Amino acid sequence: MGMISRRGVLAGGLGGALSLAMPAVLRAQGKQRIRYAGFVQSDGELKTLLASLNAYMAKHPEVEIVAEMTNFGSFIDKLATETSGGNAPDMFSCNVDITDEYSRRGVLRPLTAYVPQPMDLTDYAQGAVKAATVNGQLFAFPNDAIGPALVCRSDAFKKAGITMSNQMWTWEQLAKAATDITKANGPRYWGLEDSGSNYIPCELFMRGRGKTLFTPDRQIGFTRDDMAEWFAYWDRLRKSGGCPPADIQASVNGSDITTFLVSLGRAGMTAALTDKFAGMQALVSNSDLFLQMLPNGFDGGPMKQTHFVYAGNSTGLTAKSPHADRMVDIVRFTQKDPEGSRLRYMGSGMIPCSRATRELVGAQGTDVDRKIIAYVEVLQKEQAAPRSPGVVGMSNMLRRMNEAVAFGRLKAQDASAQFIEEAEKRLKS
Amino acid sequence: MSVAQDAGTKAGRAPPRARRGIGAALSALFGRAGGAEAPTAGRSRLVGYLFLSPWLVGFVCLTAGPIVASMYFSLTDFNLFSKPVFVGFSNYHRLLFEDPRYRTALGVTLTYVFTSVPLKLTFALLVAMLLNRALAGIGVYRAIYYLPSLLGGSVAVAVMWRKIFAYDGVVNDVLLWFGVDGPSWISNPDYALSTIVMLAVWQFGSPAMIFLAGLKQIPRELYDAASIDGAGAWQQFWRVTLPLLTPIILFNLVMQMIGAFQAFTPSFVISNGTGGPDDSTLFYTLYLYEEGFSHFRMGYASAMAWVLVGIIGTATAVTFITSRYWVHYGDQ
Repeated sequence: MGMISRRGVLAGGLGGALSLAMPAVLRAQGKQRIRYAGFVQSDGELKTLLASLNAYMAKHPEVEIVAEMTNFGSFIDKLATETSGGNAPDMFSCNVDITDEYSRRGVLRPLTAYVPQPMDLTDYAQGAVKAATVNGQLFAFPNDAIGPALVCRSDAFKKAGITMSNQMWTWEQLAKAATDITKANGPRYWGLEDSGSNYIPCELFMRGRGKTLFTPDRQIGFTRDDMAEWFAYWDRLRKSGGCPPADIQASVNGSDITTFLVSLGRAGMTAALTDKFAGMQALVSNSDLFLQMLPNGFDGGPMKQTHFVYAGNSTGLTAKSPHADRMVDIVRFTQKDPEGSRLRYMGSGMIPCSRATRELVGAQGTDVDRKIIAYVEVLQKEQAAPRSPGVVGMSNMLRRMNEAVAFGRLKAQDASAQFIEEAEKRLKS
Repeated sequence: MSVAQDAGTKAGRAPPRARRGIGAALSALFGRAGGAEAPTAGRSRLVGYLFLSPWLVGFVCLTAGPIVASMYFSLTDFNLFSKPVFVGFSNYHRLLFEDPRYRTALGVTLTYVFTSVPLKLTFALLVAMLLNRALAGIGVYRAIYYLPSLLGGSVAVAVMWRKIFAYDGVVNDVLLWFGVDGPSWISNPDYALSTIVMLAVWQFGSPAMIFLAGLKQIPRELYDAASIDGAGAWQQFWRVTLPLLTPIILFNLVMQMIGAFQAFTPSFVISNGTGGPDDSTLFYTLYLYEEGFSHFRMGYASAMAWVLVGIIGTATAVTFITSRYWVHYGDQ
């Protein structure tokens, strides 16, 4: 092996130094380098997002957008680590919880000054705009409009002889439908995935009881009995066969649609937000999927719309980034520009928050797009207020308590008490 | 060392030759040698520092700095976004006396350590003894048996393990041939940890290779002598192989134990990062990660890390202290 020459060492060192200095080199060339981090729900969404960003860069050669996209679970951890290390991306995806947390921490830039010019949000789903507003200030531009739903397999319903018409129904009726589907579809098949770990249907369940999970002023909005009844509801469904046993359900990863029992052809329904629908339909080739409202009340009680429409994915800007105007222009291009929004939304499975863009997708999109738009329109007719942000780790807490009941380690009342105790501690921290 | 040098050392004086050597080194490093310094010495010291600097910068910035910082953070309430607030030992008090999930995580980890390490070492020793035979193509066998260790810690293997032990996985498909409808091994709290222990045992290659090297060091004559004295295969293993292998067992035990306390990837992948089902695979490091990066309680996570350092240090110390009763060195 030859000796490394001094010249070689110097050349290597210079190369390393140059690569470290690339951002500075880009600046010297007059290029704006913008890091855009976020989460996507499907490959289709990733492709369309990148296509729209590439189109923007083609129109603006002075801009380099570095897209750092991943799934939701990985994104949360990465964003927290980078932000704490002083290396936050310039712009990033937010859901209602991220918007709340990062605006209160001063990480997000207030965006009210950019409304209505250049961002006119008049035709946006107002629930989404409201959910992105904290203390009267807008902190994120809503990319999509989503709502809670049951994602259902047509073949399972047909076999059970059940027809749905998107009318309001009760939690008891849902339980009966789940049990009937299980009976009609044979062994190792269940009517409804156990959604006891999912805080979205839990929120609707609480609303049906005249409560909420959390109040706008960051308090717990339910009683111990309410949450105990939630855990008991799913426990009864497991025992009646309407839901899979605990160990089958525990193999499902709530943020990975490929593990959903509906996607695997092992269950007839699952509770999800509508932004998962297109990805799930792409996975299910042997049956059409359809969207159905979750229950809105209980037998003998009042029926009132509990569903809301808000944004599952908004874009926020980091307060310290020097490229605010440019980033707002990128958001405008992807959400409102005819070319940018077409590239961004067609085939993404996302339903635009802007009505004008939504109509464009409705006219030119796929059957799946139209199904989601039709469902969101139903919800928009008489929608409830968007859910209030919860506490960090709420999803994990609910999953643990539901599993503890499912595996027989805790009774529903004890799981409820433990959930409230942990939630209260986190609200105080 | 000569008698004269030995006497010099005992009297507290470094031997002249050694003193010159150390003095020269100190002089080169700190420039404290008496008298004027030659210009070439200063230049060579600078060059020395220059060559040392990549490691030194890496050590200070990436190892020593974070260690000191985490010690400080463990005494603070730090949520990643705001400035840390000093809270004394309250994080330690909370995790030791007020956090039931911490006790669960500790229990899961101790169960894992005390089952996976002995099983893995036993299996590794068995395989090493099989591979110690003079067979044609034994080198190929050794390479094949070592492969799981090369792959074992990776995410890909944990994903594969998940597929094998899932409800509709390979294991249950095989059981179905015999009319047994098996459970979902990875998502049932009664079995989930066992599957992770099995994954650890499957990664026996590294300790097996070290055992094999140890077996090869045992003189053949000892077995011949034992055989002449009438010792059978079991007696030879129990009276010759095992005692002479105890230093290797000690080494493997310490290394595997430390690794087992730090296990993270298998649980993270198999439980989807939750430690479930029902916290049955909530390893210590996974809970630490969850607290730090999912719940933004970095101060608390730092305290957990330092307690883990204490636990591993104590376990290692106990192992070394007890080793005097069961480890036999050849010269003893």
